[in-house]
Amino acid sequence: MASVSIIPSGDYKTSYGSDTTIFPTRTSRNFAILGVVLLLACPAFMDRYWLSLLIQIGYLGIAALGLNILVGFTGQISIGHSAFFGFGAFASAWLSNSLGVPVALAIPLAGVVTTLVGLLFGMPAARLKGLYLAIATLAAQYILQDFFARADWFTGGTAGTIAEPLTLFGFAFDTDERFFYVALVALVVMYILATNLMRTRDGRALVAVRDHYLSAEIMGINLTKYRTMSFGISAFYAGIGGALYAHYLQFVSVEGFTILFSIQFLGMIIIGGLGSIMGTLMGTAFMVFLPEAMQALTKLVSGTALDTALNLKDNIAFLREMSIGLVIILFLVFEPDGLAHRWKQIKAYWKLYPFSH
Amino acid sequence: MSIKTALFATSAITGALLLATSATAYADIPVGHLADQSGATSDVGVPYAQGVADALAYINSKGGINGTKLAVDTVDYGYQAPRAISQYKKWSSGSDKIAALQGWGTADTEALTGFVGKDEIPAYSGSYSGHLTDPTGKGPHGSKPAPYNFFYGPSYSDALRGMLMWAAEDWKKQGGQGKPKYVHMGANHPYPNAPKDAGEQLAKELGFDVLPAVQFALTPGDYTAQCLTLKEAGANYAYLGNTAGSNISVLKACQTVGAKVQFMGNVWGMDENAAKAAGSAANGVVFPMRTAVTWNAEVPGMKTLKDISKISDASGNAYRPVHYMAGVCTAFYMKEAMDWASKNGGVTGPNIRKAMYQKKDWVPAGLEGVCVPSTWTDSDHRGMTAVNIYRAQVTGDTGASVADLVNAGTIKLEKLTTVDVPRKPEWLGW
Repeated sequence: MASVSIIPSGDYKTSYGSDTTIFPTRTSRNFAILGVVLLLACPAFMDRYWLSLLIQIGYLGIAALGLNILVGFTGQISIGHSAFFGFGAFASAWLSNSLGVPVALAIPLAGVVTTLVGLLFGMPAARLKGLYLAIATLAAQYILQDFFARADWFTGGTAGTIAEPLTLFGFAFDTDERFFYVALVALVVMYILATNLMRTRDGRALVAVRDHYLSAEIMGINLTKYRTMSFGISAFYAGIGGALYAHYLQFVSVEGFTILFSIQFLGMIIIGGLGSIMGTLMGTAFMVFLPEAMQALTKLVSGTALDTALNLKDNIAFLREMSIGLVIILFLVFEPDGLAHRWKQIKAYWKLYPFSH
Repeated sequence: MSIKTALFATSAITGALLLATSATAYADIPVGHLADQSGATSDVGVPYAQGVADALAYINSKGGINGTKLAVDTVDYGYQAPRAISQYKKWSSGSDKIAALQGWGTADTEALTGFVGKDEIPAYSGSYSGHLTDPTGKGPHGSKPAPYNFFYGPSYSDALRGMLMWAAEDWKKQGGQGKPKYVHMGANHPYPNAPKDAGEQLAKELGFDVLPAVQFALTPGDYTAQCLTLKEAGANYAYLGNTAGSNISVLKACQTVGAKVQFMGNVWGMDENAAKAAGSAANGVVFPMRTAVTWNAEVPGMKTLKDISKISDASGNAYRPVHYMAGVCTAFYMKEAMDWASKNGGVTGPNIRKAMYQKKDWVPAGLEGVCVPSTWTDSDHRGMTAVNIYRAQVTGDTGASVADLVNAGTIKLEKLTTVDVPRKPEWLGW
């Protein structure tokens, strides 16, 4: 396959360090930094609607990355990710409301608490695989959802609970313009953490477990340890994402964390690319923008000749849901390796242009 | 390759569309409209939202608010509070900040109370939770201030109080011996729970034996077990806290089981559609009604309502259930407040709120005889405390359309009485 960045022909790497570098060239690193700098300027020229979408990509992207570590990198499956996301949200609200922990501290702490819960539910993962594991995580989804609805002391029961905005040195991050920076910083930190994790011994062990667990075990990798650990890491990311969500929305209520939401997380990483960190972000952005684009599209169709000709009326709302499903199916059929793979191909195309064949 | 190209072309176009729509600016008065058209309460949410939407479109067709049109954005939030909040955040931002909100459910309205108070955006909800009636937060039951929340109708708590007062009388009239047994039923959700404590407290005071509450989900299902519980416990009066769809399931199951209970629905618990769906099981259910009349009544205000109905039904033949009419009333109270505001400093949130306090016992112009006169003050948002209690009568097979059934008299909503619930200060916000 064609190389994806401008480096000299041939492989001249002489150390493990240069082989596992995050950015292959200086240009790619500078572009990444430029991207973050450009994002920093976003609140200056974007309205709150766009910022809210970007913030959504922020916290959902963090949680989705957790799932990708579990599913894409370790080869485990979870269809209960939204329950962990919810647990992080409630935990952070509870820590700050009931125990008086400052929000800035409650968010990482919520990640830790969710990790413990994730490890608990991850224990069966040590023994289960595939479909069996999927059903076990489904149980986690339902147990936690039921817990949310009943544990009044923790979640406020069905009425939900208020989450105070994040405040640092008396400065409240309570508007979209301000919270955008919180989400951005969290996103960058969490993504760098994950990228580095995958370059470590433990990260490579996770990939080995995914690629061939028997070989991995023969190589001396403790399967039980790494599978459970993967669950823990995944829950940690979900918890942090959930906590950010709680303090952004400033309200948490049980009905958001359904199995459908869990499936959406799976959709994000599948569309983005399993086992790709950059792909996770792309998939999340896709899943956040798609319904909005479809909403805009249906609004555009509504009231036009097409609307009257087909007699759509109220059904126009369902058109949106249906087209989201359709786009996802199209992706799975035509681009099963996700957006990350597509992006690589686009880069290769331009690099080789006009000699792509 | 061509399909892939098409895929990319599609995403490019949707992206461009997204940009185009987001750039559309409001030149009019932006109004947000949260509706439940697909969620757990959509059975009653759909006709109510239709009433609100038609009324707002009708107002626009008549020139809007003193010549300025309303830019209404109706969004189906699927009865999910987090979705309502993120939608609200979009609406309350930037230069096109909404002037008022037409809301819906209890969970989302209560969650939004703090936000709308801070942003000074009047929120007219379809939730009549007693918690929303206390603008100052001085109610003795620990209610939080809800200065920008309004609704049209008796609060859930007051409606239940009214029905309990009726029930206490009814028990005597029926020659009942000993203490009647009362039970609160509904989902474990803020909406059915809102009047639970208030109702149980008053029931005790009125001499009822209060049984442990019985839970059933907001969605239709098999509730035979719940009905067996009612039967075994010997309940005499039961409050149905859910919306019509799931209540029907309970009514039918209880008919099958043979539990002889006087059911008391809440304002969303019964309507013409539910009576048709439940058939004879709905016969005898009492419920509070927010409007003074039903669709076929001959009062002056019905002319306006029939005109409004034509917005979404050009033929003019549709039969509109009570929720549709309540939606129209709610929208028109907002409209009149906006009218006043536009003449007194502009259509802003604080002005709309101030406008709501200008009149006493008022009915929006054009809806005389339909909407029940209401009064809001800056210390009390219990718009009305008069509870009109109706009884659903189903006297035959309900196979035909609602309009036909009502015309033939098979389905009848018959007025029993009006209970004037005292406006006790200790009941404010509860």
